[in-house]
Amino acid sequence: MGTKILVTLYRDEVAPRFDLCSEVLLVTVDATGREVRRQDLVLAHSSADDLCDLILDREVSAVITGGIEEEHYHYLRWKRVNVLDAVAGPAEAALSLFLRGELEAGAILFPRGADAEGGGHV
Amino acid sequence: MDTAMHTDTLLGVFTGLARTGLDRADLPRVLRELPFGVAVLDGERRTLFLNGALERLTGYSSAEVAGVPCRHVLRGSFCLHACPRRGCGQAKGCAEGQVGSQGESQGDPETGAQAEGQSESREGTLINRHRRKVPVRLTSVPVLDREGAYLCTLEVIEDLSALKDLEARLSRTAGPGQIVGRCAVMEHLLRIMPAVAQSDATVLLTGESGTGKDLLAEALHRASPRARESFVRVNATPMPEALLDVELFGQANASAEGGGPRPGKFQLAQNGTLYLSEIADMPLAQQSRLLRLLDEKAVTPAGGERPMRLNVRVVAATGRDPEALVKAGLLREDLFHRLNAVRLHLPPVRERGEDVQFLLTHFLGIYAAKFRKPVQGFSQEALAQLSTYDYPGNVRELRNMVEYSVMVCPGELVLPEHLPPHVRFPSALAEPVQTEAQAPVLAARPATSKPATSKPVVLKSATSKPGRKQPARKKG
Repeated sequence: MGTKILVTLYRDEVAPRFDLCSEVLLVTVDATGREVRRQDLVLAHSSADDLCDLILDREVSAVITGGIEEEHYHYLRWKRVNVLDAVAGPAEAALSLFLRGELEAGAILFPRGADAEGGGHV
Repeated sequence: MDTAMHTDTLLGVFTGLARTGLDRADLPRVLRELPFGVAVLDGERRTLFLNGALERLTGYSSAEVAGVPCRHVLRGSFCLHACPRRGCGQAKGCAEGQVGSQGESQGDPETGAQAEGQSESREGTLINRHRRKVPVRLTSVPVLDREGAYLCTLEVIEDLSALKDLEARLSRTAGPGQIVGRCAVMEHLLRIMPAVAQSDATVLLTGESGTGKDLLAEALHRASPRARESFVRVNATPMPEALLDVELFGQANASAEGGGPRPGKFQLAQNGTLYLSEIADMPLAQQSRLLRLLDEKAVTPAGGERPMRLNVRVVAATGRDPEALVKAGLLREDLFHRLNAVRLHLPPVRERGEDVQFLLTHFLGIYAAKFRKPVQGFSQEALAQLSTYDYPGNVRELRNMVEYSVMVCPGELVLPEHLPPHVRFPSALAEPVQTEAQAPVLAARPATSKPATSKPVVLKSATSKPGRKQPARKKG
């Protein structure tokens, strides 16, 4: 049984809002950190409560998301889910960093400042 | 400050700034100290600058998020599905594509796109870095140079927390019964209600069925000094007078049927409030006893000899015209004058004008939250149908109608097909619904106080069954 990581999606980015997310990426990795399964789930509707239920139902270990309300953050933490919130950037980049153990809550993965000029948008 | 006026003022300021051909480099200096949040964005909705107020609101410093798409900085509810710059030429990177329904828009109603050089306002929420959801109003203002070429976009974000808190407090003071309304009559009623509640005067509530008499009675009790004591509702349904006597005024000794002494509704309401939900249903003999009780503040239970002191406030209600009831001999005139110390009339929905839309929105919010559905509002067509409907069942009917609509609505907007059939096809009703006010006051006591209702008509519903959705399905 591998470890499950859930990334809230908005197109190919980490969704800016947990409660408004309508699509998630569910990745299962084995003990060595190798990806063994990938599922793209489209939710029936956006709901933070339903998303929390899904996370617990699927026994997700870590959630990578953008803004999340304190209530849901603490609920998931209480249920022993590792929540990396306020992450801004491409979903794949966030996932790769997480699997390397380098992703932190609040990480901004978009090019910033002068680097963002002329094509910084993903 | 009036938010709309505030926004208008801001728009004037920014339009003026744009006309002066303000240098892009000067914007931060001008904007930094403004008391409301301002973000400057480039044509691809990347953040160039946040002023101090917005730094405090979002929890991000301007330098930290320079170049980051604004949807990851503001994290507004309008960012994903109702981006104000959706469809605009410069905003390749903005979250265009889906029609948003939240908040009002001054953009093109057909395409949802913001016309070039025009501002747009939306209300919604943002989630800041500290995981706090903040209600905000966002006004997006494109800044053009003198030649009309696009320079940047100013996003003005006003924190509406104080306003929303005030609204919540006001709706709480409207009472636990959630009596709400914004039309002149309801505002007057809600304004005088606390003073009426604080007095110990007998109150007579009038209004058609479904206008909220029961809620108002309870709200009066909860706002009164008797709030910690009992609120006892009496529905004088037709029953043998001896039984009703015991029910209302109690029984002193064991009865022949084997029952022991029992308190009546008045004794149960001791120190509290007794609410008579339809005074005209009470037989004249009991009306006479009630009058004596109100005068003497004492009651003698059935079979008893010694009167018992009572401290009860009486609130009575009727769905019919009390003067007509007196004339018809269904209500004792002396009791009517005794009860009529304070009279509060609840108007029917058809006389509440602008309240219809307010009530629709109010109940939509309640039921969307209750059913956990993403319904945000009514379509223009649905609103048009709802505005022309007569609501013979008043607020109760309106509330049930919204509950039904939210239940069957699968999307964000309630469309005409989500409305109950009798609203969409009013002419299909076999008979018009007769309200209590319209019903003639009969000389003889009616068998029941229930209002006359229309003959049930079964109409085939065009709405689709909402069904139960699975929480998730596999894509592709």
